Amino acid sequence: MSLSRSPSPTRGGGWSSPGLTAPYDESSGRSSPAVRTFPNNGNVTWASAQARSAEVQGYASFSTRKQGFFSKHFRKLSRGLPITSYAEKEKLERRWKRINAKNGSWRLIAIAGRIVWRLRLRLAGLLIFLLGIFIFYVTPLHMVVRRSFGGGNKFVIILAANLGGGVMEWKGPREWAIERDSVKNKMHYARKWGYELDIVDMSTKKRYAHEWRESWEKVDTIRSAMRKYPDAEWFWWLDLNTFIMEPSYSLQSHLFKDLQKNTYRDINYYNPLNISHPFTSEWLDSESRSAIGDGKSESINFILSQDCGGFNLGSFFVRRSVWTDRLLDIWWDPVGYEQKHMEWEHKEQDALEHMYTNFPWVRPHIAFTSQRKVNSFPPGACGGETKETENAKIHYQEKDRDFLVNMAGCEWGRDCWGEMYNFRQLSHRLNRGMWEQFRDRIAESFTGTKNS
Amino acid sequence: MHFAFPPRKTSNPPPYAARSTRYPLSQYLRRSQIRKFAIIGLGIIAFVYFIASFSSESEERIPPGTPPAVIVTVFDPSADAVHTEQIKRNRISYAKKHGYETFFALSTTYDLGKHTNAWSKIPAMRHALTSFPHSTFFWYLDAHSLIMNTSLSLHARITSPSVLEPLMIRDVPVVPPDSVIKSFSHLRADDANLIIAQDAEGLRQDSFILRSGDWAKFFLDSWMDPLYRSYNFQKADAHALEHLVQWHGTVLAKLVLVPQRTFNSFTRDSSGKNEEGLYKEGDFVANFMGCDKGERNCEDEMKPFLDKADDVPA
Repeated sequence: MSLSRSPSPTRGGGWSSPGLTAPYDESSGRSSPAVRTFPNNGNVTWASAQARSAEVQGYASFSTRKQGFFSKHFRKLSRGLPITSYAEKEKLERRWKRINAKNGSWRLIAIAGRIVWRLRLRLAGLLIFLLGIFIFYVTPLHMVVRRSFGGGNKFVIILAANLGGGVMEWKGPREWAIERDSVKNKMHYARKWGYELDIVDMSTKKRYAHEWRESWEKVDTIRSAMRKYPDAEWFWWLDLNTFIMEPSYSLQSHLFKDLQKNTYRDINYYNPLNISHPFTSEWLDSESRSAIGDGKSESINFILSQDCGGFNLGSFFVRRSVWTDRLLDIWWDPVGYEQKHMEWEHKEQDALEHMYTNFPWVRPHIAFTSQRKVNSFPPGACGGETKETENAKIHYQEKDRDFLVNMAGCEWGRDCWGEMYNFRQLSHRLNRGMWEQFRDRIAESFTGTKNS
Repeated sequence: MHFAFPPRKTSNPPPYAARSTRYPLSQYLRRSQIRKFAIIGLGIIAFVYFIASFSSESEERIPPGTPPAVIVTVFDPSADAVHTEQIKRNRISYAKKHGYETFFALSTTYDLGKHTNAWSKIPAMRHALTSFPHSTFFWYLDAHSLIMNTSLSLHARITSPSVLEPLMIRDVPVVPPDSVIKSFSHLRADDANLIIAQDAEGLRQDSFILRSGDWAKFFLDSWMDPLYRSYNFQKADAHALEHLVQWHGTVLAKLVLVPQRTFNSFTRDSSGKNEEGLYKEGDFVANFMGCDKGERNCEDEMKPFLDKADDVPA
């Protein structure tokens, strides 16, 4: 095609010059020409050139507006608004500038207003975002989310309530108060993180007429909880005399996200019972003879802690698994019971120690966690004063903000309710909000006393 | 050819330089090249994944030449050596014929404390499980038994599900005659981890087949519980087994009862109540239970049977 002739006007109001296309293609930066539709069959009309320039400019000029009924009327409407086009906006800004030059006091406000106006979309987005967060935490929505998406429904807290009671052991007001406080504490925690809370009335568990299996109900309770919550994976047993000091710790972040780091398999790390570990008999397989089982965190089915004297089952975790089924099944055995019930003061706890000591199939799936991770003792709970080094491992430390306190053995000569009350107050104090801290400080400055 | 006009500039120049591309990567590569690299990259990832999954699989893969079954027998070291040798040969010839392995142990090998050597079958089985970690079935056969009919493999005779299914005895007292605990009625052959027979008095723990796995370890360890050993059951390990089966559902759920003559026929009905379990010509196993007690002599009793067993072409 020859370009040596001059472009001639056409009826559509443009030029029939094909050379016109070249600069546009360069400015669009494409390496290959894109297919475009021209209304005049290859000719450049005024309208198409405008449309194209609009494309290059990145915003539409008036010619691209639709000519429909609604858009016409909207245009009329929008013409009435202060800013209709960029040109007018500029004019307006100039006017503002003039005003500002006259009145200095309005200047800052005007600038701020302009900034706000310029950022209006982003600010609206931010506002909606903040509002969303607010609503998320004020309504129970966050519990639902933590429950179903955060894995909260994988955890069940089993709380043994209504210990004693019955005709033989009357419950006084203190016992009721302990129970109320403990249950409330766990309820709050479970709701916060979306866990299930299974409060077990232990008095109804004595279904064996001969009562010879009395206070061995842990196994039955865990089993029925497993049936009751078929979606749950981990079951956390808690004695009544426990208090969650830091409800802001979720089980996932506190323990389960990194089982490898938070637990130890080799009991020689801390071995108050002096159990010889691992097994050495040559007829056992390598996994049973290994000090750490297979070493994978997936094979952990049971997590417990050791206090000054050995295993402690005041706060422990079991995972739903075939292994757990077998363990719960074999845990109580009449032959063992008959021989040992006078000797095994701590019943299930001693039986578990027996199984751990004698059954190679049990060991590779049990992991220990440090006592203070899930089961801190109050001072003096070990019976007889212990060394400072022991205290650091077992007993509650306020400065480390330990997760849970287990007032183990407080029913024997200690004041359960007093301990529970003190720890409850301490937990409140440690976890109060900024406003409460401020208020308390004011109050303290007036009274001149430091309440603890 | 010449141009009459220089190329026209646009009369409406863009206010800013137009963005050259939508995707920064395409500055350097053409679209077809990007596609090519993407395909190659995906291919590499898929290959690595395949290799990784293959190698992790190979850890659990059963190495070639693994015997599908292992025959375990525990011998009393005080028994006559020639006789013991004969019994060993009986096991070995059957194992050779069907590609099995044998595992022989002495009853004094394992530390049982002060308890009777009958318990040694349990650590022996555990030992066999350790020695042949990939084999599926472990058949404990007492030293007082002989394999008489070597024609059929264990699989064809007992362990294959289609064979086992009709053999299984469901919903009968686990410990005859009157235990309230009955064998599971809805058990399938796939569930069978312990195949055992019962005679008129109880479970016959002198011949049983155990499927390897975690359950087998659980079962053997529980059976070996020191508290069972110290309890002085009248029949030691036999009564401990019956206790275990009746009190623990996870054990019972994997237990399959089969007719006694499947793999544990008695040569003599010493109690007079056990006619069904008596050995008949062509039975798989002959059990000379109690032949080492009192007046009886195992060698004499076994002699005709040994000759017969050897007659069968190997």
